Amino acid sequence: MNWVQILVLGLLLGSVYAMMASGLTLLFGVMRVVNLAHAAFILIASYITYQLFENLTLDPIISLVITMPLMFGLGVVIYLLLFPRIEGSPRYVEMTVLLTFGLALVVEGLLTFVFTGTFRSVRPDYVSTSIHVGNIFIPSNQLYASAVSFVLLIGLWAMLRFTKTGTAIRATMQNRGAAQIVGVNVKRISAIAFGTGMALAGAAGSLLSFLFPFFPGKHWQWIALLLSLIVLGGMGSIKGAVIGALLLAIASAVVTDTFGPTWSPITFYLTLFLILLVRPQGLFGAKLRL
Amino acid sequence: MALLEIEDVVAGYGPGPDILTGVTLSIEEGTSYCIVGPNGAGKSTLLRTIAGILKPRAGEVRLDGTIVNGSRPDQMLAAGVCFVPQDASLFPTMTVRENLVMGGYLLGDRALKRQRLEMVFETFPALAERKSQNAGTLSGGEQQMVTLGRSLMVEPKMVMIDEPSLGLAPMIADQIFEKIRGFRELGITVVLVEQNAVKGLESVDWGFVLDLGSKEFEGPADGILADPRIRELYLGKQLAPREPR
Amino acid sequence: MTHETEKLDTTGIPVVDQLDVDVVPSRPGRAEGVLSRRVALGLVLALILLFPVIAIPVFSSYAYVLQVGMLTLMWISMSSSWNIIGGFAGYISLGHGVFYAIGGYSAGLALAHWGISPFLFLPVAGLAAMAVGLLAGLITLRTRGPAFIVATIAMLFLFLLWFDNWEFIGASSGLDLPLVDIPVRWLKVPFYYAMSLSAIGAVYLSYRVAHSKFGLGLRAISEDETKAEVAGINTRWYKVIAFSLSAFFIGTAGAVYGYSLTHLRPLTFFAIAVAARMVLMSIIGGRGTVAGPVVGAILIVGVNEFSVRQFGQTELNIVVTGAILVAALLFFPQGIVGSLRKSGRLPAFLDWD
Repeated sequence: MNWVQILVLGLLLGSVYAMMASGLTLLFGVMRVVNLAHAAFILIASYITYQLFENLTLDPIISLVITMPLMFGLGVVIYLLLFPRIEGSPRYVEMTVLLTFGLALVVEGLLTFVFTGTFRSVRPDYVSTSIHVGNIFIPSNQLYASAVSFVLLIGLWAMLRFTKTGTAIRATMQNRGAAQIVGVNVKRISAIAFGTGMALAGAAGSLLSFLFPFFPGKHWQWIALLLSLIVLGGMGSIKGAVIGALLLAIASAVVTDTFGPTWSPITFYLTLFLILLVRPQGLFGAKLRL
Repeated sequence: MALLEIEDVVAGYGPGPDILTGVTLSIEEGTSYCIVGPNGAGKSTLLRTIAGILKPRAGEVRLDGTIVNGSRPDQMLAAGVCFVPQDASLFPTMTVRENLVMGGYLLGDRALKRQRLEMVFETFPALAERKSQNAGTLSGGEQQMVTLGRSLMVEPKMVMIDEPSLGLAPMIADQIFEKIRGFRELGITVVLVEQNAVKGLESVDWGFVLDLGSKEFEGPADGILADPRIRELYLGKQLAPREPR
Repeated sequence: MTHETEKLDTTGIPVVDQLDVDVVPSRPGRAEGVLSRRVALGLVLALILLFPVIAIPVFSSYAYVLQVGMLTLMWISMSSSWNIIGGFAGYISLGHGVFYAIGGYSAGLALAHWGISPFLFLPVAGLAAMAVGLLAGLITLRTRGPAFIVATIAMLFLFLLWFDNWEFIGASSGLDLPLVDIPVRWLKVPFYYAMSLSAIGAVYLSYRVAHSKFGLGLRAISEDETKAEVAGINTRWYKVIAFSLSAFFIGTAGAVYGYSLTHLRPLTFFAIAVAARMVLMSIIGGRGTVAGPVVGAILIVGVNEFSVRQFGQTELNIVVTGAILVAALLFFPQGIVGSLRKSGRLPAFLDWD
């Protein structure tokens, strides 16, 4: 495989990772929530997409229109139900880890109960086609998935940059107390941010459904990857998450090509450890304010 | 009718003990106040309770006659009560200009925001010079000016400032107090909490002395400064005259 | 927990002098409890050691009962050990399955290749786990808070991927171990006793740590790490040592458990459910106390057995595990022992702090 091919494939996959990771980072940045259940929620969306495809032959990309608002709502509800209760606790951040850990277990159990452990995947036509540009061949499903991810990432950026809610979210990410002082209703904004992070998870679920086969236990691999990615990029930095995702995906493509697919996640975790040795706050992280 | 009335307010943090044990005082519009007292008296806690950051466990807080207990901070701000806390309440990676604009978050009108921003730059020319600088890179005094300027964006009725001179060199602190005196000229009611009782009381009309969570004394600011009993009881250490060497 | 009078470190500076190091506030009137505590401890030990004997006439499914007993002791061993870093020091590790695996595999390999019985190899398995804990701790403990948790997850996956692909140990299909040459009826007995050694060791270690200057330092770190540093505690070494100490009896537990399975597979040890249960048991029982993880382990094993009887071996079990964890965090963050102590109703036999 030539280098351009590897680079392209890496970038394509990386944009999907980036979208998943930015949702997770948003949750940490705004509410200091480390959401271990993020990938489990992504899976919920994948299963919903699967059902919609099986029963209504609804194209998975179109089902974004359903999964995103649904997950947004679910996010707001879960946030309001669980998190204000632990808000004042000492070691709040750790509590969020444990709480979402429990949530992830519940989600996984329920998904297994409803859908069993069989591997599923969504297979629209474009799963088996590919596009040729010069001497590069791009699988269509990858292309569409990353196009959608790209659009969503731009949408997120625009929302954060130009809307009043987005500004409030950015302010809260930087300094929650200061945001409160200038009139931001931080509770409402936190709920909205949580919903947005989940909406992104919903989109990711729909896209992943036709990229990789999935089963209820698969979320652990994904969350380990996403969390490591965020630590690598620097927790709370969306920019770091995106860049980290792209770098990871490209490196992963290179390693897979050179050494085979099993080596790529190992290399990633090893790299994470090396970077932690040298720079514990990650590439773009500020000193962690807990 | 007073602008703000606090009656028998009791408050504390989380599950902890009562810090305020029954405070009663009233704030008149257009006057400036300084709250002094020993450490742990509850001065910052009082401001926080008024601002809506802390909910009173008992008692009433009334703004223009309406009970505002339990309002959220953003609601209090919308009602015209602005709080400037003592810790860094800036957005460190935003510029000075962006920080000030954030002060106008509740204002809907863009033109209004721009107008107010101009006004703030006039009041604080030093900020105008640094408007594109990242707020995190400013000096202590400049950061304090940003937070003060930011409070002006909403044209508040009342500004509460917690320890304006904290961590500042005396000369810079003097500049800050001068700016605060300027607020009074603009018709804004000012309530300060100051550890440096002399500087604080010198800059205002009226003083409250708080101890053990309730108001021990109130009176004209210069009267408090002059009264030796009060000095000794509550302001002792800070006002001990320097022994000639 | 009372503060020892010896509070100066070697340079004469008071150590943790101003800090309120009671994560779980201490109770007055300790002296009366001591005697009843000793009696209770003695009773518990006797019960553990005599259980296989007592159980013979009482239970019809003897092997099953011993199995449950062994599992309970295993989880007591694991959650008490995890508590040293996760409870006392407040650093949540989700990667402790690594030590479980190291214990299981090192003992298994010693048996398969050199014929050494895991029962004899126990201390070595523990040491192996501890050594890995030391090395891994040096890296992962460079981070704090949530980044640390993530680093431990990465550690778990790194080892899982390695073990899954390492042909020498059988990779993902696993390693077969020779069976123990004992009639089936009594098969579980040696495993039970070996595991009880591990459990008693773990609880004893936990107790000694809690009552030492080291333990005091760990609690200080969990309350406020910066203050602890300023007070003169070498936080980095304290954390790393706690991390590696916490590995020892998890390794021994893994060695015994692996042997009892006679077939080792990476997923058995590295499954997230393992970490989940260690964490859950400590939290439900009372993080940061000595008795807490023990109570938690017994409770959760009990709930699990009950739920398997009711619902069968289904995925509803992990729903229950997760739901209990969420409920515990929302409503009893101090755990059973912690909440009892706080309301002053902790019976003396549970007050091991």
